[in-house]
Amino acid sequence: MNWRNIRLIFQRELRDQLRDRRTLFMIAVLPLLLYPALGIGTVQMQLMFSEQARTVVILGAADIPQMGDVPLLKDGQFNQTLFDMPGEAEKLAVVTDQTPPTDNDPKHLQRYQDLMQDSREISAALPEMLRLDAIVKAADDPKHPRAKAAPVVTPEALAEARLRLKEQKDKIGSLFAKSDMHVLIVIPPKFGQNLEDAATALAGRLGNLDQATGYPRPDMVFNKAIDRSLLSYQSVKGAFEEWETQLLKAQLRVAKLPEGLTQPVNPVAMNLAHDAQIADNFWSKLFPALLVIMAMTGAFYPAIDLVAGEKERGTMETLLICPAKRSEIVLGKFFTVMSFSCATALLNLASLGFTSRHMLSMGKGLMPRVGDLSLPSPVSMLWIVLLLIPLSALFSALCLALATLARSSKEGQYYLTPLLMVAMGMTVFCMSPAIDLTPRTAIYSVVPIANIALLLKGLLSTASQDAGLIYLVPPVLIASFGYAAMALWWAVDQFNREDVLFRESEQFDIRLWIKHLLRDKEPLPTFSEAAFCFMLIMFLQFGAMQPLNAAFEAVAGSNKERALIQMLLIQQVAIIATTPLFMGVMLTSDVRRTLRLRLPPFSILAASIVLPFALHPLSSELISSITWPELPASVKFAIETMGSTAQPEWLVLLGFAFAPAICEEVAFRGFILSGFGRNGRKWLPIVLSSVLFGLMHMIPQQVFNATLIGLVLGIIAIRSRSLLPCIAFHFVYNSLGVFQGRLAETVKQSPANLWVTADPEGHVRYQWPTLTIAAIVGGSILYWLIRRDSTAAATNPTIRRVAPRLTGQLERLA
Amino acid sequence: MIHVRELTKSFSDLKRGHVTALHGVSFDVKPGEIFGLLGPNGAGKTTCLRILSTVLRPTGGDAEIAGYSVRSHPEQVRARIGFMSGNTGIYDRMTAWELVEYYGRLYGMPEAQLQQRLEEVFRTLQMFEIRDVLAGKMSTGMKQKVSIARTIIHDPPVMIFDEPTSGLDVLVARALLKAIAALKGQGKCIIFSTHIMREVEKLCDRIAIVHKGHLLGLGTVQELQDRYEQPDMEELFFELISQHDESSSSSSDSLVDQPFRAEQAR
Repeated sequence: MNWRNIRLIFQRELRDQLRDRRTLFMIAVLPLLLYPALGIGTVQMQLMFSEQARTVVILGAADIPQMGDVPLLKDGQFNQTLFDMPGEAEKLAVVTDQTPPTDNDPKHLQRYQDLMQDSREISAALPEMLRLDAIVKAADDPKHPRAKAAPVVTPEALAEARLRLKEQKDKIGSLFAKSDMHVLIVIPPKFGQNLEDAATALAGRLGNLDQATGYPRPDMVFNKAIDRSLLSYQSVKGAFEEWETQLLKAQLRVAKLPEGLTQPVNPVAMNLAHDAQIADNFWSKLFPALLVIMAMTGAFYPAIDLVAGEKERGTMETLLICPAKRSEIVLGKFFTVMSFSCATALLNLASLGFTSRHMLSMGKGLMPRVGDLSLPSPVSMLWIVLLLIPLSALFSALCLALATLARSSKEGQYYLTPLLMVAMGMTVFCMSPAIDLTPRTAIYSVVPIANIALLLKGLLSTASQDAGLIYLVPPVLIASFGYAAMALWWAVDQFNREDVLFRESEQFDIRLWIKHLLRDKEPLPTFSEAAFCFMLIMFLQFGAMQPLNAAFEAVAGSNKERALIQMLLIQQVAIIATTPLFMGVMLTSDVRRTLRLRLPPFSILAASIVLPFALHPLSSELISSITWPELPASVKFAIETMGSTAQPEWLVLLGFAFAPAICEEVAFRGFILSGFGRNGRKWLPIVLSSVLFGLMHMIPQQVFNATLIGLVLGIIAIRSRSLLPCIAFHFVYNSLGVFQGRLAETVKQSPANLWVTADPEGHVRYQWPTLTIAAIVGGSILYWLIRRDSTAAATNPTIRRVAPRLTGQLERLA
Repeated sequence: MIHVRELTKSFSDLKRGHVTALHGVSFDVKPGEIFGLLGPNGAGKTTCLRILSTVLRPTGGDAEIAGYSVRSHPEQVRARIGFMSGNTGIYDRMTAWELVEYYGRLYGMPEAQLQQRLEEVFRTLQMFEIRDVLAGKMSTGMKQKVSIARTIIHDPPVMIFDEPTSGLDVLVARALLKAIAALKGQGKCIIFSTHIMREVEKLCDRIAIVHKGHLLGLGTVQELQDRYEQPDMEELFFELISQHDESSSSSSDSLVDQPFRAEQAR
């Protein structure tokens, strides 16, 4: 690796991008202009829209009670003190039957008269509508307060009432929509007088208070389907509730009762947050999401321009014939893309930060005032910068690798857009208040992209920060740099492929392509065929989930366990085994080699049978020591079935050990591992296939467990070049799981010992002497396997003689 | 300087399936010689020259350039060749000087020597008036000059020109051929591919006629004309090609390689 070349390429690319006006605009100018422009736009919008007041019509305004210190109306508007939000009263224009316009403008007068006429019509139709509504409510929603007074009616009358209610609503609705009002309030006659009378009755402690308070109440009409009407209703309702409290207090004063009587609970709320914490909380919601999207956007255009664009402009070949290695070229370009990704993200964050701080401190209109919004502390800023590095690195490497596939900038955009979508999806996931990274949800720390966003969210919100969060920083960083390194490796790999770099533009034809697949078979599947096999298995499983579940639900209680095992068998054979077998036969010319159907060296086979006995206690304890999310009910049932003694042992073993051992091995150590490892690599295919093997298991602890076991199985497969030891290992390992559940009862009753105990939940727990021995035995077998040279097996003369005969038989079986 | 032995290249293609673009091609090029690869479009010229420049890896055979194998020492090979083709574009957002300087640095030239060489190359190619012009604003002829400057900046012993005149007008093409001829005078080992007969006749010391990945004829113009008793180069070219097409359609492989074998036997 020549760093001088990398630096040269990096400097050139950087200068080249900076000379490109489009890139500069996207990276620097846009963020610096966008947020202030958005801010100004918001202010403008508020100014424009605040002039459009919403109209509230009050009929019977003369009867509005005048009790208490806080009148409902003040200077022709609602009383501002009744609202929580400042400036709310101004947004509601009040028109009453007591206040005709005084300015003698014929237009205003006309509008007033129209409003009054419409209101009166609606008001006149109201009692009938309420009566019908009460009848319908009594049938549909008996708990509704209006339902109580309704008479019991015959079904015919009810149907009639429904019909007429709809007619009435439609009639009044069209009148309401046509008129210029958003809420209509009808105050019943003598309402104010009634209130005062009730207060007097209360003061005199007169006998029948029910009668005194049984006076008619005001009606409010609005339309929930009209946004402005709903908004007006909500703020008027809020104001009325506050007004009601004030009126009640006044009544109590008249009645010489304590005012606190109305609020027997009235808890004292104390907000612990100080301004800085509120600000941190605000930033913790905003910054991680923006960081992800902007790191991606910042990598998007430079990556396309640097690779696909260079191919298009014909400068790529010029670069390829200079002495710099492909890896140096990729690294030079990678650092350029990463610089732009980081710069875009940081500039956007800074611009958004300053703009929203400025906007919020104005505290007007749409955005609520959040106190004095201080910018994040220097420590938070450092976290942002630190976490941005692996994030940008991952996006840059992915963008470069994908852009390498493209022949032109336009194609590059097609390839990269899905990545942008994924990033957006991740952001939405991370923004959810229910999702947090804590030691309990440590599994998130290995989810690419999301781990960084969640960690940053946790680190920025100082108020709700979990004390253990800081321990998750190393795993998140290690995982993220690991992903970035893998993506970078992929990009270099792409750059080394002739078919990717020198793709001829040929018309894609699906028929030709299928023909090509079936005609130009190669002994082993390709990388993408292996990946596709996995995808297909996942899709088929997803598709089969619904029908299998339905069939399972249809089975009656006691047969459920047997049905579950049947379903498992169907799923294993029909989906997990058939897919790789079919693809192997159709797409490869050497099925035997693809599925590793040959005899293994005896030593490895023996080791594979012993190894699970050592590894099972270790993995079982490892999983028990980590806190996992609650298992779904269906999985719990499967585990119970595994441990249940109601089913014969052979059936349980068939469903949980034998079938998975064969089917999953054919798929993962057969087709998929062969495809990944076809260019002679060992560790990347092992790791990749085990991660996919883990992912297929869906539930977090099984994903974790299966990934670890997948690593071991991968090593066995590569070293023995045979599927048989993998099947043996898998079968023994799963059988131990089955027996672990079954043995719990026996262990419980046996005397306490150094080796195993049973915990209260009925799990067998291994004690440290067992674990020590297991670790020594397992470790040495694994060490032996890893150090062993796989070519030794091939040159063993006995194997060579016997193998073809037996593998032939195996193949026929498969 | 260039030793090509049994060079074979195959790849798979969606439409045609398994395609062999080069069938065991062998030839040698000496210093101070211009070697012409003559063939119709799709003959395998570009594939062959891309293998020589180590951008593609051969499927079979090997080529040795200035003492290094393209298989085992691609970086050393790349450092010793100057490659120019219709596909080797130059960056629009760099000036002539910057671009040539950039490649000089990538070739690992010491800074002082590079500056001196830059002056020299710009003077010989009369490029001082476009020294600080961005390539995006240059005419095709100017760009071609920059490309040549880029190709020779590190003073490589071996030069490869893959159809350098395609898409150029007569004047620019003529200037380019003159420049190549001048390089020969400096003792460079030059390989030059084209489908234009006149260029070959005018410029090349020896030629190889390639068609569908096979080497059909090899020698000086005079030798070829004598061997096939055809004084007209163009007629000779067509004869060889149609002869090959007939024999390959009758699917007799021994006939296909006849001219080449004859050459080897010589």
